[in-house]
Amino acid sequence: MSALAEILFGGLFQGSLYAMMAVGLALVWTTIGVFNFSHGVFMMLGAYIAWQLVELGLPAMIAFPIAVVVMAGVGWILQASVVRPLIGRPNIVLVVVITTLAAGSLIENGALTIWGPRSKQIPALIAGNTTIGGVGVSLHQIAIIVITPLILAALWMFLNRTRLGLALRAVAQNEDASHLVGLNVTALYGLAFAIAASLAGLAGIFMGGYRFMSPVMGSDPLLKALIVVVFGGISSISGPIFAAYLIGFFEAACSYYFGLYWTPALLFGVLILTLMVRPEGIFASRSRGLA
Amino acid sequence: MTDTTSPTTLGHAEAATPIAPGRTPWKLEAIGFVLGFTLLALLPLIFGDTYARHILIMAFIYAIVASNWDLSLGYGGVFNFGHLALFGIGVYAYSLLTKLAGFDPWTALFASGVIATLAAILVTIPILRLKGIYIILVTFGFAQLVMQVIISQSAITGGTQGLVRIPGLYLFDHNMVRDGKFAYFYIALALLVASTLFLRVFVRSRAGASIVALRDNEEYAISRGVSIVRQRMLTLAASAFFTGIAGAFYAAYQRNASIDVFGMSLATIILSMVLLGGTSTIYGAIIASFVLTIFAEWMADFGAWRPMITAVLIIGVMLAYPSGLVGMIKASWGAVAGRLKRPA
Repeated sequence: MSALAEILFGGLFQGSLYAMMAVGLALVWTTIGVFNFSHGVFMMLGAYIAWQLVELGLPAMIAFPIAVVVMAGVGWILQASVVRPLIGRPNIVLVVVITTLAAGSLIENGALTIWGPRSKQIPALIAGNTTIGGVGVSLHQIAIIVITPLILAALWMFLNRTRLGLALRAVAQNEDASHLVGLNVTALYGLAFAIAASLAGLAGIFMGGYRFMSPVMGSDPLLKALIVVVFGGISSISGPIFAAYLIGFFEAACSYYFGLYWTPALLFGVLILTLMVRPEGIFASRSRGLA
Repeated sequence: MTDTTSPTTLGHAEAATPIAPGRTPWKLEAIGFVLGFTLLALLPLIFGDTYARHILIMAFIYAIVASNWDLSLGYGGVFNFGHLALFGIGVYAYSLLTKLAGFDPWTALFASGVIATLAAILVTIPILRLKGIYIILVTFGFAQLVMQVIISQSAITGGTQGLVRIPGLYLFDHNMVRDGKFAYFYIALALLVASTLFLRVFVRSRAGASIVALRDNEEYAISRGVSIVRQRMLTLAASAFFTGIAGAFYAAYQRNASIDVFGMSLATIILSMVLLGGTSTIYGAIIASFVLTIFAEWMADFGAWRPMITAVLIIGVMLAYPSGLVGMIKASWGAVAGRLKRPA
């Protein structure tokens, strides 16, 4: 009983964080067709901005939304500076990998210079602990498990029920036609990046609430988010969400039965196998035009 | 990427290799090759201190890794993001073979190249059906898998602690430690010469032409009888051998091995060398390796600001010259040459 509860809880919790990260990556990929390798750095920066605001004396419930909004701005600026000028170039996928990596390195080293290497922690969403099914858990983790599906549902509503969200999906499906019907494609590209960055920032705030933060805290979640989007199929938003929870459970089960050390290796093994059998991901119906 | 301007009308129709338009005649290239590397061989005479030689050795290692990456990334169009894992496999293969299995260092150096080649063939299998971004993800996953296995097998590999006191190379009775790095300098240079020669001969051969054909028009190349499975394996395997040897040499030179070689920072630097130099040139990656390595040293005084300045510069060059330094040189040369030709 306790084993099952532990795996279930661990899976839900990790899955929530992975989903928050992966959705942003998938959103940028579907709309712009590039991979944002500074996504992990967004997560780190969101956490540090929140920490800084709390340190300045703001209550957490005000500081966190401000940090998320600031991250949206950061995402927009990054898109405008290192992605937009390259759109239309023949080898854009490759060049954007290097420019976002470089931008990520710039932000990471900037954070190191400003805030220093010392580990920091931001206040939990809800302080305290409880026991469910024989497993001790913190209320902060439960809050994350509850809040994440709400945010993802809100994102889904936005993409499917609002004009702006539909416009975003239109650009993802056919850029030229979107131009023709008068959509501001450039602004929508910026919006995709802004949403992705603020989701990553929020994931960073969640993570900074239960684990110590460091300027390199985003690299591992970025990696996991990459696995998630590959696994779930990169061409949709719902695929990565399902995959995130699936991988969360897989990881929780693996580390319970095989130990923490073998989990990443098993995970990558499963990933490579999945791609050999179903290159478009297990939850994808069809793949976007890839080159 | 490939020049499509003014096809050079060469008389010999019996030439075995397809003549690409605008290709430099091989004699001209051979002269440039010999001149360039003679110049590099003479550098220790100019820079007398040991530290300068150390920087050049590092630049040579990076140049080998970057130029081999250019083969798969630039010529092959295969977004192999596991290239640094092949380098890391070379590092660990050499370390384990010499330290645990007691191999002779030179045998281990060669064996590391072979092991890296086998690893490359292994990683090619899952990406045979894939395209573009998916290849990035799988090869990236492969690199992480290798790193995780090395970390988890800490009893053999030292895990995150790494390995120390790895046997170095030797040359007869020559003292490798107290010669001011002269021997290592020339070994590194010899490896770079061998690697560059191999790469240039390869990309100028029929096999090289077929790889480029697959990159530029896959369907047409396949319909003309080019096997994508065989050629893709060949590309990856060919790019892995000297990468593995460079890794082994790196381990022998540094006398230690750590999982840092799998890290994002090294991958970013080497990738920026490939892209900064300009893909599908081989020489571009080598030039960029020198430029970046020496530039990084030159900025040593800036301390924490150094990675940030490098990042800004990489972004700047990529935005201004997407075809890299060689593209920059070609563009300016084209402008000069065009002006010279016009009156005639």
